Amino acid sequence: MAAAGGEERQLLAQRLKAAVHYTVGCLCGEVEEEKDVQFSKQIIAAISDITFRHCEIFAKDLEMFARHAKRTTITTEDVKLLARRSNSLLKHITKMSEELASSNMEQKEKKKKKSSTAKAERTPGEQESAVTENEDSNMA
Amino acid sequence: MASRGGGTPAASGASGPAELQLPQGPGGLSPPPPPPPRNYADHNAPRRRRNYPPHTAPRPLPARAHVSREAAGGARGAAVTGSNMADGRTRSRAALRRSGRHNAQAAAQTGLSVENQSKSVRSTLATQGLAVFPDLRNGTPRFMLKRVIQSQPPVSPLAPQISTHEDTQEVHSEVPSKRVSSMGELQLSDVAPEDRITVFHMTKKRKKLSISEFERAAEKRLSQYQAQSALDSTIMTRSLHMSVGSLLAPDTVEKRGLLRRPKIRRAVDLQEFEGRVEQNMLKNKGQNCLVDSPSASGIRTSILTSDAEMMMNSTELFVQPQLDEQSQNKSVLEPQLSNLKTSAERSLISDADQEEARLEGLVSGVSTNEKRYSKSSSLHHEHVDRMTHISPQTPAKQQKEKQDHSHQSNRMAQISFTEEEEVCTAEHGANAGYSEHLEKKLSEKAELQITAAEDKRGETEMAPSAGKELAEGSVGGQGSPRAEHVITRGIGAESLGRHSHAFSSFNKPEMTPVNETDEQEGEPQDQAIMLELNTSVEEPAEDEVEHPASQEVSMKTPAFVRVPASNLLLSTPRVTKPAAPSFPQRSPLQQLQPKVISKRLGTSQRKPREPQIPRSLIKEAFRHFAKMPVTTETYKIVEKCSERYFQQLSDDLEAYTHHAGRKTVEAADLEVLMRRQGLVTDRTPLTVLIERHFPLQYRKMLIPVAVSGNKVISSK
Repeated sequence: MAAAGGEERQLLAQRLKAAVHYTVGCLCGEVEEEKDVQFSKQIIAAISDITFRHCEIFAKDLEMFARHAKRTTITTEDVKLLARRSNSLLKHITKMSEELASSNMEQKEKKKKKSSTAKAERTPGEQESAVTENEDSNMA
Repeated sequence: MASRGGGTPAASGASGPAELQLPQGPGGLSPPPPPPPRNYADHNAPRRRRNYPPHTAPRPLPARAHVSREAAGGARGAAVTGSNMADGRTRSRAALRRSGRHNAQAAAQTGLSVENQSKSVRSTLATQGLAVFPDLRNGTPRFMLKRVIQSQPPVSPLAPQISTHEDTQEVHSEVPSKRVSSMGELQLSDVAPEDRITVFHMTKKRKKLSISEFERAAEKRLSQYQAQSALDSTIMTRSLHMSVGSLLAPDTVEKRGLLRRPKIRRAVDLQEFEGRVEQNMLKNKGQNCLVDSPSASGIRTSILTSDAEMMMNSTELFVQPQLDEQSQNKSVLEPQLSNLKTSAERSLISDADQEEARLEGLVSGVSTNEKRYSKSSSLHHEHVDRMTHISPQTPAKQQKEKQDHSHQSNRMAQISFTEEEEVCTAEHGANAGYSEHLEKKLSEKAELQITAAEDKRGETEMAPSAGKELAEGSVGGQGSPRAEHVITRGIGAESLGRHSHAFSSFNKPEMTPVNETDEQEGEPQDQAIMLELNTSVEEPAEDEVEHPASQEVSMKTPAFVRVPASNLLLSTPRVTKPAAPSFPQRSPLQQLQPKVISKRLGTSQRKPREPQIPRSLIKEAFRHFAKMPVTTETYKIVEKCSERYFQQLSDDLEAYTHHAGRKTVEAADLEVLMRRQGLVTDRTPLTVLIERHFPLQYRKMLIPVAVSGNKVISSK
């Protein structure tokens, strides 16, 4: 069972790695077109590997930040703290989080107008923002 | 028998050894005499014989034992007296006394059987080479004295007398060696009372000395000086003294006692000294404000003239080498004096070269110098025109000297390019004018330069636009946080360079003291430039960069008056840690503030320097971990890196604390930091690290410690 679980996890990891690799490839293609440069396959593979490992570090750090703030949920604040090193990234994330928050507020108001209850709007919104924000390569 | 002038010491000395033997006599009496006096003789004899060279002691004995027996008392006494005493009579008397003692001793010892014992004693003594016990017929003191009086010529104890020849003859004839030895012994004893120190050393040296040699020497001397007066004998003793003293010399050299070791003074480094002098001068200048500035500058020039002169070996009016771009610039830039930016930039471009140019220009007239110089030369013109009351020479000299010094110190130290730029900006000030305006411009320029690439320095833009510069500044400001740090650092450095050393506090921690000196040196120059620029075209530059208020002030008041205002402005940005979003807005403000700061010491408050890790600590740690030789430039870089590193650390810590909604940094924040650093992992929690690296005292504060006796020392 443990081995199966381990295998399962490995499979999942492989799938995730493949997904990351694919995304990195797409992004590099875009940069190639923009800057008129060439990306070799090894480079893309290296970048994807680094990204994947860094994601693990991100996750640990985010969890640590959340626990540090005496919370059990990872929020956009934790993400912002993670991204504070890179100014542009931080600004970007901040902007996006503000947009998301405003959109959430709007949705909330709409929902409140509709007077529907028990809709945890915020958590999906946060999760979405977290996901989208995590997609950006982050410098710790 | 006691008082005999010169004879007393000798007598006392002579009687010493004799007296040594004396106690034996009465001691020997108490036990029954049958124990042969031989023992005493033996006891006495060895003591005496000890002082005699072995070869001499037995030799003369058998032949002369009997011969000397009779004449021993008298002859010996005479000989002794002849050799030692200044007066024949005293000698004889001393000898008699000695012999008398011997006789007494002998008589005491041979109380029962005088003849036998004395004879036996005498015989034994004679065999041993000593005639201790005199003849009863002629050897007793009474008879000896009688003989002496009859034979010896009357001698006054006061007048120095030449020892009788016959005594010497007797001495030499009978027992030369023995007598010499005895005389030598007596000589030693003679020496002793005169100079006790030598006696001491003599006793020490006695073992080292070969008695035979000494005896030979003494004999020689005796033969030489025997016939002479007492003075000569004293000379002999003195010679002996000296011989002894020479032997003693090495000993005394070793024993320094209270003598002090020669102080080894470190050679004064001229550069250091000059730099310190400059600092002092700047201090004084700052305190004396404008009024004393000429005098101070004059003093400064006087002090630094030598240094400047050393630098300026060539007395050419125009310095050709290294100034190619300057020469070009001069011709081109002069007409553009009005453009503040250009002048400032020009000043920024060439640092060392300008210094030299300025230095050389100092030799010729001020006006010519200005022309020769690069852009800032125009400022000189204006400055000269403006400050006619102040001798332009001195300020120029002063500035040049400062530049020279700063230049030198620049060369000496390994300045990073930022520092150089700052120094350049400081140095390229005009003469001893005090224009803050130019200063601000220069500082801004320096900041821009710093943030921009290094190649900027090489640029010789004739007509730089203010906007461009602003853009540069903004770009630099909006760059990475590092740029901002650099800017602030540059600001601090520039401010230091421009202003008196009082503002060294503004300096960034990494500024080396050399840089500080450089900047200090540059201060008056900058001031000069500023003042000049004030008179010259100020508006274009002012509009762009300056505070409106400061502009006005710069126009009207000297730089130092503006210090308090600038201080207030400057203090704020340095204190707060720059947050990321606030970079762009803050940098221009920070850029402006150091320019506004004036240099004058007295008027401005001294800002306390920011705490920084001691350079020595960084050096030591780095050297320890590098495990290989490290050049000095690397230490500067390492210092900067460590400074940056710790700044980032503190920034992170603040962010974590803020993240937790607190305002006080706590251990949890630090743990988060360490976890991010990778020092604390799931395997090595913080407590493990504490235990591993901290001494007990600190560990106690963090982790409860359990000690014996059911005691727990808690951290709270």
